[in-house]
Amino acid sequence: MDIGGNTGINPRIGPFEVFLPVEGSSPRLRHVGEPGFPGQLFVVEGIDGSGKSTQLSLLHKWLESKGYGVVFSQWNSSELVKDTTKLGKKKKMLTPATFSLIHATDFADRIERNILPLLKAGAVVLCDRYIYTAFARDVARGMDRRWVRDLYGFAAKPTVAFYFRVPLETAIGRLVTGRDGFKFYEAGLDIGLSDDPTESFRLFQGRIVDEYEKMIPEFGLTVIDATLPVEVQQAQVRQIVQTHLDRARNLRVRP
Amino acid sequence: MRQTYGKALPGMKLPDLAGKLLVLEGTDCAGRTTQIDMLRPWLEQQGHAVLDTGMARSSLAGEGIRRAKEGNNLGRVTQSLFYATDFVDRLENEVIPALRAGFIVLTDRYIYSLMARAIVRGMDPAWIRGIYSAALIPDAVFYLRVDVEQLIPRVIFSRGFDYWESGMDVFPGQDMYESFRSYQAALLAEFDKLSVEFRFETLDASADAKIVFAQLQVKVQRVLDGDSRREYLRESHSLDREYLHKVFEYAAAATMRRSPDQAVAQPREAMAANHNWATSPMSSHASRQNDGGFLQRK
Repeated sequence: MDIGGNTGINPRIGPFEVFLPVEGSSPRLRHVGEPGFPGQLFVVEGIDGSGKSTQLSLLHKWLESKGYGVVFSQWNSSELVKDTTKLGKKKKMLTPATFSLIHATDFADRIERNILPLLKAGAVVLCDRYIYTAFARDVARGMDRRWVRDLYGFAAKPTVAFYFRVPLETAIGRLVTGRDGFKFYEAGLDIGLSDDPTESFRLFQGRIVDEYEKMIPEFGLTVIDATLPVEVQQAQVRQIVQTHLDRARNLRVRP
Repeated sequence: MRQTYGKALPGMKLPDLAGKLLVLEGTDCAGRTTQIDMLRPWLEQQGHAVLDTGMARSSLAGEGIRRAKEGNNLGRVTQSLFYATDFVDRLENEVIPALRAGFIVLTDRYIYSLMARAIVRGMDPAWIRGIYSAALIPDAVFYLRVDVEQLIPRVIFSRGFDYWESGMDVFPGQDMYESFRSYQAALLAEFDKLSVEFRFETLDASADAKIVFAQLQVKVQRVLDGDSRREYLRESHSLDREYLHKVFEYAAAATMRRSPDQAVAQPREAMAANHNWATSPMSSHASRQNDGGFLQRK
């Protein structure tokens, strides 16, 4: 079996490259080297309170109204894995390493069973959070940057990865009014930055923002200014998505 | 000092890990469990505190893996990563604390089985190795080697062919017998390669279990003889309450994990008897301190 990793060149698969952050280190998945995926993959990234989910949901409705076959996949939603993640979070059993691995397992299940087959079938796939979330969170928890990137070597590279950039205080302001308190892992209380949940959340999210900022040039994330009005952001997103869909052929039409 | 294959995980504190990490590797039905069941009491007889652990026994992912394997939709990457989660949970929450408390950790399979299984399922060796680069380098790896031909009667006359042990997910077109042969042969080939690279001590496990055990005893003894803690364990007056208490805590936790019902019913005194404190150098030290009551302390 030919694996692209040995050549040191990212093999092109239709509009996708199989995601190879590190030379010679990608799982030898069957889809590598197979004829192109006609589907298109759009993902949104950003800290909690950046408004990315709102934007993705608006994009979803718009694409559906245009007749595309659209499928949505959410971070941390695998039926096979979510009970284990829930157990680990509820009982506070997760270390930075197992937190990282259980989320990678969840992602792998969605990639194998969902995202890749759909892309092969020519669907437009939308992901609320993708591998960049794991890179940001796991490194903020002290995991090795390279190790985490290698771990996700089996992921497909998205057509466009939007990063919704927002100042930390704005995001926290949106969240504090929207809900009561932060959860243990969400606030990074597991790594002991502060005993106060709000303060810990602030420090932890600050680290995550730093990681996102580093990833913009590293992975070519498309930055959207998330302080702009919702409609303005959505118009930018739609325009970018439209140019990619115009170029793509063989996309599924909604039945 | 103990080392990992790559970068250590956050909070590992490698210099503290005084115990010994002994690995038993081999394909299915190679007799690993039988050997561990004999090794454990033998080591305890000598006064060592022993923790044994094995695949899919983690409190985090063990149950999730069992459930996932009951269905028909566990993908290959997902499977590899689920096992990695289980491994790291046991590494961080069982193996490392036990080593820190000076235990001998006997592990039924280690990263090598997990890597072999993933590679046979088409994962890139570099990828899976990268994930397990955070694992501790063990003090010894004993590889119980049995040829496929010799494995087959063991399987037939014990529990029969099992879907996963036969690698039916890898060779779906074949019947269980054919699939078992192909899968186990592929695993063996992978193990043989790993055995050179990671310097396994290979034992011919086709022999009678007692003969294998005798060979294993010699090899294990050799590892323990090279143990710098030996003198310390015998002579040291700093073997204090705290140390003994830690040893007990972990032995109790390990027993709970193995057989929860039994352990609940088992009072601490009975466990002390099981661990043969009477014959161990540590208990004589404890009694010198006239601290018989410590062991019974709730």
